[in-house]
Amino acid sequence: MSTSAKAPPGHFKILYFGPAENHTSITSENLPAPLSVAKLFSTLEKKYGGIKTNLLESCLVTVNLEYVDIPEDENDEGMVIQEGDEVAIIPPVSSG
Amino acid sequence: MAKELQEDTCYVALTHDHLDSTSMIDRVRSPKAGAIVLFAGTTRDNFAGKPVKELQYTSYEPRALQTMLAICKSVLEKHGLTSIAMIHRLGVVPIGEESILITVSSPHRQAAWRAGEEALEECKAKVEVWKKEEFGGEEGGVWRANRDGATGVRIDDEKENEPAAGPHGPILRPGRPGERGHGPVVHLNSTERPVT
Repeated sequence: MSTSAKAPPGHFKILYFGPAENHTSITSENLPAPLSVAKLFSTLEKKYGGIKTNLLESCLVTVNLEYVDIPEDENDEGMVIQEGDEVAIIPPVSSG
Repeated sequence: MAKELQEDTCYVALTHDHLDSTSMIDRVRSPKAGAIVLFAGTTRDNFAGKPVKELQYTSYEPRALQTMLAICKSVLEKHGLTSIAMIHRLGVVPIGEESILITVSSPHRQAAWRAGEEALEECKAKVEVWKKEEFGGEEGGVWRANRDGATGVRIDDEKENEPAAGPHGPILRPGRPGERGHGPVVHLNSTERPVT
C-alpha cells in the first residue's frame, strides 16, 4: 500500500483507489499544495480529461483519513489541502 | 500479517491470508453469551451468469479499519452485544473462499442474528474496500460497486449495463445519507425489484 511515503515540500499526496486507478493509471502521486478542496476536481480534470463526470462526481474525498465536503461551486470557500496532507479519492465501495 | 484494531470487545482486521472462522468465533466467545452468530461471505463463480475466474480486493487500509471499528461499536451498542469481530480478506481471493467473516456474541440469539446482518450490510455500504472481478480471457477485470444500479467499470473503460452486485448479492436494505456506497440500494421487500 502506497500510504507510507510523505509528499515532498510544497506538495500533498493523493491516492487513487479501485475504479479511480482506471482513469489515472497510477495509485498515487504528489500535487502542489496548498489547494482548495473546491478546486480539487477541476485540477484533476485538467490532468485526466473526462475523470470528473465519469468518476469523481460519484466519489467522496478524504483528507488525512477524514471525509470532507466538496463545495458545488469551486470558487466557494472550503477547506484547503496543505503541504504534507494525504488526500484520497473514494469511489463507491464494494466490500464484502 | 493482519492489520487490526481492537477496542473494548470490538475487533476488526484486514489480511491477505486465508480467513479462519474458528479463531473468529473464539474471539467473541464469552461466558456471558448464549449465542454466537457467524457470517461467512464467500466468492461466487459468476456475475449475472458470466463465469468469474477470481476476485481481487484492494483497500484504503487505515481508513477502512476505522470505518469497520465504528460500525462494530455502533452495532455492539445498539443490540447489546457481548462482543463483535469483523475481518476482510484483501488481494486475490480464489472462487469459493471466504472474503469476509463477521462474528457476534450476545446473551440471547435474537440480538445476535439481527446484529450480524446489520453489521454486514453496514460493512458493504461503507467500508473502503474495492472488488475487481476477473473474467479471464481478453476481457480484463471489472470493478464493482455495492450500490443499486451502479455500473461496473471495465478496465478497458467500456461501459457495462448489468446491475452491480456483491459476491453475496445486492445490498438488501434502504440507503442512508452519507453511506459510502454513495447511493440508494435495493429494497428486498419492495415491489420495484431490480432486473436480475
